[in-house]
Amino acid sequence: MVLNNSHTKYLENIHQYFNRFLPLTDEEFTDLTNYFELREFDKKVQVVKMGDIDNYFNIILKGLARKYMVVGKKDVTLQLSIEGQIIHSEISFNTRTPSDTIVETIEPTVFLSMSYENLQKSYASNPKLEKLGRLLISYLFIKKDYRDYSQLKKTTRERFLDYMHSHSDMLQRVPQKYIASYLNIKPETFSRLKHLMKHRKEHHAGGQQS
Amino acid sequence: MMKPVFQYLSRFIDLSEEEFSLLVGFIEIRHFNKKVKLVDIGEQEGYINFVMKGLIRKYFYRHAEEVVTQLAKEGELICSSVSFLTGERSDYIVESIETATVLSISAANVEKIYALGPRMERMGRLIIIEWLLQKEYWENARIKQDSKTRFLHFIQANPDLPIRVPQKILASYLNIKPETFSRYKHLLTRPYRHSQVLAGS
Repeated sequence: MVLNNSHTKYLENIHQYFNRFLPLTDEEFTDLTNYFELREFDKKVQVVKMGDIDNYFNIILKGLARKYMVVGKKDVTLQLSIEGQIIHSEISFNTRTPSDTIVETIEPTVFLSMSYENLQKSYASNPKLEKLGRLLISYLFIKKDYRDYSQLKKTTRERFLDYMHSHSDMLQRVPQKYIASYLNIKPETFSRLKHLMKHRKEHHAGGQQS
Repeated sequence: MMKPVFQYLSRFIDLSEEEFSLLVGFIEIRHFNKKVKLVDIGEQEGYINFVMKGLIRKYFYRHAEEVVTQLAKEGELICSSVSFLTGERSDYIVESIETATVLSISAANVEKIYALGPRMERMGRLIIIEWLLQKEYWENARIKQDSKTRFLHFIQANPDLPIRVPQKILASYLNIKPETFSRYKHLLTRPYRHSQVLAGS
């Protein structure tokens, strides 16, 4: 893997990210990085197309990507991921079958990627990685469960407000229609909620000044 | 009695008899009457359960409405998985539909199993990947398939369940409105009656 300075900094972040699950020594982490490759994509590139077998597990070092499905003429956004998050077509990658979902960059994006084959090799190289893998997968499962739960449990307004609260920067980076789709909110309802929120904030700020 | 568990786990790794006998020491057998809560909202999930006999569901409340997210029959695992993995309070209820016998491993014992070595870690990882993929499949089906297709796929994969699961619970699980679900019932009863007639003739 050829690295420049900014990549080295990202790698340190990834090491810290893994340490949250299981501490790896510098040597163990360096060994592990040998199984990774850097992949750079321009914006709006389909990294995994429908029908591809997804061969990579990707950690985003820089940029932003989404995962979606095409239903009729509509895109349904399933995932929006930024720096430090993992994105790939899980079913395709793990079962080695053609993907039903598309992974596409929104911004120019740098992935730290591990191929399916290298992932198996890395597990064989250091038994500790089995534990790291289990804890990482558990974490992804927990995140997925929370998302499913909140999609089913929360009202449209709650989904909107909670997302805007926890991901306030995303509106600047992601086309609104993708966020609306991700939250399963109709575009016109999303605009109305956004307008309402803005109006309230201004009103609130005005109140503080007086 | 433990054979179905051995078969289940062997899907993930080649388990030797010796390894399996170590695992059996961690398993508890638990019996529940029907309509008993194994875990309630706000409780911490202490067990992962393999269904030996009976039928168990997992659900939460959206206001007063029950939203069913899992039905587990013989040979399947069920628990309030996030609570089990994180130790946090459960957002879900796990409840028997029929009288049930489950083989359970406590959270503390699961940790002891992982401590046996990387092969057990691998088995755990592969099981949790399967949980994750089941969620992906389920989400994809909800988005891509209309309710009739979901219904047909489900009864094809689980021909016994429409008879065992109360209609209201099944409709919730498949995310089909009860009134719509009633319209699909003929898809179910016709072949079922047909097979009964054949069996009786």
